[in-house]
Amino acid sequence: MAVATLPHAQTADHGEVDRLYAETRDLRLNGFLLFLVSDVVLFSSFIFAYLYMRNTGQGWPPPGINRLDVAFAALNSVVLFGSGATMHYALENWKHGNFGRYAGLMVATIVLGAMFLCGQGYEYTTLYFREHVSWAGSGIFGASFFTLTGMHGFHVFVGVWYLTVLLLQSVHGVYTKQKYFGLTAGTLYWHFVDVIWVVLFSIFYLI
Amino acid sequence: MDLAIIEKIFAIVGGIIVFLVAVIAFWNDRKSVGIDNHVFKLMLVLLAVGAALAFFAAVGLLGNFPKAA
Amino acid sequence: MTVAAVHGGGIADHIHPEPQSFIRRYIFSIDHKIIGIQYIITGFVFLVLSGMLAELIRVQLMHANGGLVSNDTYNEIYSVHGSAMVWLVIIPLVTGGFGNFVMPLQIGARDVAFPWLNMLSFWMFPVAGLMLFSSFLIGAPVAGWTEYPPMSLQAGPGTSMWCAAIFLIGVSSTLTGINFLVTILKMRAPGMTFTRMPLFVWAQLATAPLSMVATTALAAALAALFIERQFGVPFYDPTKGGSPILWQHMFWFYSHPAVYIMILPAFGIISEVLPTFSRKPIFGYKMIAFSSVAIALAGFMVWAHHMFTSGLAPFLQLPFMILTFVIGVPTGIKIFSWMATLWGGKIHFTSSMLFAIGFLALFTFGGITGILLAAVPFDFHVHGTYFVVAHFHYVLVGGSLMGIFAGTYYWFPKMTGRLMNEFWGRLHFWLFFIGFNGTFLPMHWLGILGMPRRVPVYDPQFQGWNQFESIMSFVMTLGILIFFANLLVSIRNGKKGGANPWNARTLEWQIPSPPHYYNFKNIPAVYALPYDFSEPLPYTGLENELTDSPAPATAGAH
Repeated sequence: MAVATLPHAQTADHGEVDRLYAETRDLRLNGFLLFLVSDVVLFSSFIFAYLYMRNTGQGWPPPGINRLDVAFAALNSVVLFGSGATMHYALENWKHGNFGRYAGLMVATIVLGAMFLCGQGYEYTTLYFREHVSWAGSGIFGASFFTLTGMHGFHVFVGVWYLTVLLLQSVHGVYTKQKYFGLTAGTLYWHFVDVIWVVLFSIFYLI
Repeated sequence: MDLAIIEKIFAIVGGIIVFLVAVIAFWNDRKSVGIDNHVFKLMLVLLAVGAALAFFAAVGLLGNFPKAA
Repeated sequence: MTVAAVHGGGIADHIHPEPQSFIRRYIFSIDHKIIGIQYIITGFVFLVLSGMLAELIRVQLMHANGGLVSNDTYNEIYSVHGSAMVWLVIIPLVTGGFGNFVMPLQIGARDVAFPWLNMLSFWMFPVAGLMLFSSFLIGAPVAGWTEYPPMSLQAGPGTSMWCAAIFLIGVSSTLTGINFLVTILKMRAPGMTFTRMPLFVWAQLATAPLSMVATTALAAALAALFIERQFGVPFYDPTKGGSPILWQHMFWFYSHPAVYIMILPAFGIISEVLPTFSRKPIFGYKMIAFSSVAIALAGFMVWAHHMFTSGLAPFLQLPFMILTFVIGVPTGIKIFSWMATLWGGKIHFTSSMLFAIGFLALFTFGGITGILLAAVPFDFHVHGTYFVVAHFHYVLVGGSLMGIFAGTYYWFPKMTGRLMNEFWGRLHFWLFFIGFNGTFLPMHWLGILGMPRRVPVYDPQFQGWNQFESIMSFVMTLGILIFFANLLVSIRNGKKGGANPWNARTLEWQIPSPPHYYNFKNIPAVYALPYDFSEPLPYTGLENELTDSPAPATAGAH
């Protein structure tokens, strides 16, 4: 009966990897991607809220608040985007069995992510102490800016620890050259964090 | 203002590097299959867009508003 | 080609041994059947609790001057009643409950894709329910289940508790959505193509992305309300530059899709019950399946029809009105397909079938008043009146809850191996049906006459109908009490039903009742739709299910 193979026929071409792993990986990959989709919806809702409040007619930034510092934000963004690039090549090197370069690029990713967080902390303190812009005290500007960038910063913070755990796991031999779904998931998460920042950077600093 | 110029120089150089790296990585992966790789390619394209945005912001073509009074 | 060869070494061959301790087996179980039953029990407990709140409302409204509870308490009662019925009763029952128990069996899987995640989703649900009900202790929410600011910003601390509880149940719903989506897309039995899936599975497939996407949007709205209340960060407070309308947009962007989360699985239940008890193939299988998806997609584009009187720009009112009318088309396709299924069938009036037919009548009625409400001029007239209350009770009680009852009578034999009593089931139906219509039908004309909703006292000219409604609501409650008594007695003393008491044809009926831990001895292969009652069953590989042949080998603990 030829029809009997239809839905499960897509899991071929995994070489020496056994079928159980291939099917489990397929499920986890899809589940993880859907989790990221729901996270995108979470950010989108807050972005909608920000754009909605921005267009309530009082001008942007609201009276009494300066525009954000674009130059520093551009530098900080480049740091985060750079970490996305190093993460990508870390996974590529893992796939080719190049453990040393993988580890180096992972460390670079983690350091760049931490640098981004430090940059954000610097930006927050500058805003708070020099421009007196705060979360609860600056109207909808403070509310939308700190909530959205703070939520993103939290995702970066989680991601830095996530990647650290992945690096330690891979040092301890949890993953092999064939079975490394955890690293794929970590890379997906980190790319997601980067790409969300592309949007946030555009809507807060460039328009 | 020295600090702002240094920031901009780093952002410009970094933006170019990240843009090129993302585009090259995308090009190397262009024939890969599987939903994870497709997502990676989409992410790399967006990463390149982000790097380009940061570059244009640093050179002053984007987000360059006059200081509020 | 044999089925075993298709699966060699895959997930379907990897069966863990059944846990033996009570806690791992019945409390923190990862078995989708146990989790589904846990959802159903918990959902019914909350149904009783918030049903009691509903009766408090009806007793208060017996007299135009109220008098049972204070005005503030009345606000708390209807707010918690609405929230609990939506988030703790209907949504968990139709997705977590029946979805969990039935869907993996119907697609021929051994479990959902992520069993541990499933357990986590379930255990968030009673915790959220306890949080919601315990908010009575610190001043429950008072702004209705929609919690519009600025009232929800000014209310007592219970509203923050409400935010947290709904956020939690939202996370549970999102995780269930992800879980079901992956399960349906990836774990169907060999040969079960999309157009061979049972319609209940189609309904769950259309619902899962809704619970995944829409609920996350609600989480954002709730988080913003929570931080505004707790930390004073302005989102919705107009005095600080925020916008109360923003909450309405974010809330309804979830809550309109949420009405389809509540009704689509009920559609799925009806689509299983009707052909089984008409002994006739379902009419328009593909139309019913695809119209579920069409409803799910269109459901995201109509949220602002709840906001016509909130100052929505007129150029936006027209598209939202027309798009809402458009949803009537796929819904109408379903209604006509179901009626055509009944047409010329050999109808068996079991309790389950009675509820399914009652569903058709009441849901159609509620759907028509929904179309009326979508018309902007009419909505201006009746917005915020009892007409709206009547409408959504017809679709949620007459629709979703009737679907839940139909599903309970239908799948109870599969869950327990015993049948529910038919006499008491029919009595339940007639008391419920008459009581329901007596309670909610007069609300239509009360609303058109101008009786506002959410008021503890009202104009004395409405008192006669309100007393009639209250008395009829006791009839409805009596029906539900009979249902629960029937349920509890039948678990131990019901007539034995055997594997397939209804001669139904979907996969879950081809295995013993209750099913084994591993569901299927061999994963069957599917070669046609399950609904063609004149043909032999479209499955192979099920020969050993009802024999004494040994269970499949387990993978061992690891």
